[in-house]
Amino acid sequence: MEAATGPLILCIDDEALGLKIRKAVLEREGYRVLTALDGSSGLTLFADEPVEGVVLDYFMPGMDGGQVAIAMRKQRPEVPILLLSAYVNLPQEITTMVDYTLLKGEGPSELLAKVHAMLRRKKDESGVEGGR
Amino acid sequence: MNLREFNRILRQTLFLPILLLLVLAGFIIWQISETSAQMRWIDHSDDVMEQTLRLEKLVIDQETGLRGYQLTGDIVMLSPYKTAADRIAKQFTVVHDLVLDDPAQQAHLANVRDRYQIWLGWAQGVLSKDPAVVNGPRLNQHGKELMDDLRAEVTAMMQAEGHLRREREQTALHIERRELAAVLVSSLLVGVALAIFTSSRMRRVSRTYDAALAELGHQAEEIYERRQWFQTTLESIGDAVIACARDGKVEFMNAIAQELTGWPMQEALGRPLTEVFHIINEGTREVAENPVERVLRLQTVVGLANHTALISRNGKEYVIDDSAAPIRSGDGKMTGIVLVFRDVTESRRSEAALIAAEKLAVAGRLAASIAHEIHNPLDSVANVHYLLENETEPVKRKEYLRMAQQELTRTMQISRTLLSLYREPNAPIAVDLKELAEGVLLLLDRRIVQQGVTIERQFSGNCVVEGFPAELRQVFTNIFVNALEAAGKGGSIRVRIESVGAQELRPSGTVVEVTDSGQGISQQTSENLFQPFFTTKGEDGTGLGLWVSNGIVVKHGGSIWITNNDDGYLTGARVRVYLPTRTMANAATRTTVHVR
Repeated sequence: MEAATGPLILCIDDEALGLKIRKAVLEREGYRVLTALDGSSGLTLFADEPVEGVVLDYFMPGMDGGQVAIAMRKQRPEVPILLLSAYVNLPQEITTMVDYTLLKGEGPSELLAKVHAMLRRKKDESGVEGGR
Repeated sequence: MNLREFNRILRQTLFLPILLLLVLAGFIIWQISETSAQMRWIDHSDDVMEQTLRLEKLVIDQETGLRGYQLTGDIVMLSPYKTAADRIAKQFTVVHDLVLDDPAQQAHLANVRDRYQIWLGWAQGVLSKDPAVVNGPRLNQHGKELMDDLRAEVTAMMQAEGHLRREREQTALHIERRELAAVLVSSLLVGVALAIFTSSRMRRVSRTYDAALAELGHQAEEIYERRQWFQTTLESIGDAVIACARDGKVEFMNAIAQELTGWPMQEALGRPLTEVFHIINEGTREVAENPVERVLRLQTVVGLANHTALISRNGKEYVIDDSAAPIRSGDGKMTGIVLVFRDVTESRRSEAALIAAEKLAVAGRLAASIAHEIHNPLDSVANVHYLLENETEPVKRKEYLRMAQQELTRTMQISRTLLSLYREPNAPIAVDLKELAEGVLLLLDRRIVQQGVTIERQFSGNCVVEGFPAELRQVFTNIFVNALEAAGKGGSIRVRIESVGAQELRPSGTVVEVTDSGQGISQQTSENLFQPFFTTKGEDGTGLGLWVSNGIVVKHGGSIWITNNDDGYLTGARVRVYLPTRTMANAATRTTVHVR
């Protein structure tokens, strides 16, 4: 596989197979992808690596996606988060905190569109507010 | 007034007049005896006069005998003279005895006796003379004078006695008059006294009788009011009430009972209960046992068997819940039977609706869980599809296809479990409880993993029972979800499933025991565990889970015990579900809840 040069994305999901497939989809679009199988190892990577966007599963053993998102916002609030879930009804405080949400099963095009939008917005925001 | 006083007055009005009349009778008898005493004195005077005359006659007889002898000189003529002598002496004694009470008459009698003695002395002188010279005029003259003296004395005595007799007659007459007056006056007095007394008593009786009547009237009114009160109370009761005599004949029905049975009370009165209160077993449609007979047999309060239906006169059917109790008199004798029942058709329907609601809630929860389970592999498959579209390298394509297959297999597995959940046979089938429990645990697997709960499985025996799998799955889903919630993050649950042999009152079967590492259950919670709408989960629970589960287990002939675990290993609640190997339709086993 050729070395990707796109933005670095962190994917966290306890479903190993699903995570692997999601990584392949994102890498095909030129993103660099880091993966973690649970919230705490994901947070470690988030702290150590210059992650530009996060694709986070909500329903996980141990820390759930909501808790992980809160921890990430405390560390680096500028990093956009896309929260994945198989549930239709996520807690209101979580959905308002993250940048995007996606229902699992909506398909890769939807996933890619949201990841793309998320990163572009981040770029726009940093461009405008970068001087602060 | 009481009966005793009434009797006392009656006794007074009876005995007092009798006493008074007895006294009056005594007085009259005394008066009569007085008169008769006086009459005896008159008789006495008569006796004196009669005996005196007899004495005179005897003396005259003697004189006549002497005169005969004087005239004839014949000694034979002296016979009356001699005969009379003895009798005269005796007659003197008789008269003497009669006048002993009267000194005046005694004096007269003494004179008579003296004169007689003189005459007798003269007569002796005559007899001692020669019979030829005894008839001389001088002699005769002397004798006649002596005899005249004697007669004069007798006459004086007779006159005195006659005077005495007249005096006595006067006295007797006087006494008689006085007595008559006394009797009249006393009778009048007694009569008036009796009249006054009796009328006063009668007035008193009448007064007390009036008072008693008033009191009785008051009591009757009170009794009537009380009766009305009871009647109204019975009429107002929301339950139907039928009272029967010992022989089972209807004596009373309240409005609700009349409505439910369809019998107006006037028509039902006196009819046998079985005719009016026609009950059958809801399931078998067989006539249910007459509650009156049951009460007569058991002599205590009895409840009707479950699933009793009342067929009303117009054919309408009501599911009823009822009890029958003996009616006992003050001395504890059974005088009748009272039936209290209510129409539970509606509440049965609401119960059924609640069960359906819980079924829906369970289904809803399962659906959400299943959607989650299916969305994950679907997501992967969609992603793989995207990758495949843009991938030409065969090795990678093969790898992607393998991944898709893996996810599809998982989806199939989940959908199979889902299908079996809603495929419900009409009759109980053989259910492997180990398999069933594993199926439920699989559905809950994601949640188990997410909570980091450890599941320990201890299975022994074949653990196959007859039952309805979807219903049993509902029971175990409920129990496992409760255990998961109780165990919390990082907790543990032990699932023990084992076949058990037959015991007293319990045929062989399988026991599923689920123990969690939570806080256990409080006494207060344990008392309400099987009540509908009781929940410890706030908004998240329907409060119907255990209530429905218990219903299902009982329907299978089994039972649920919920206790706090005491083996020292896990600290939380222990739920034990016993299910018999062969299900017993409608067998009602009481659910017991213990907290230790």
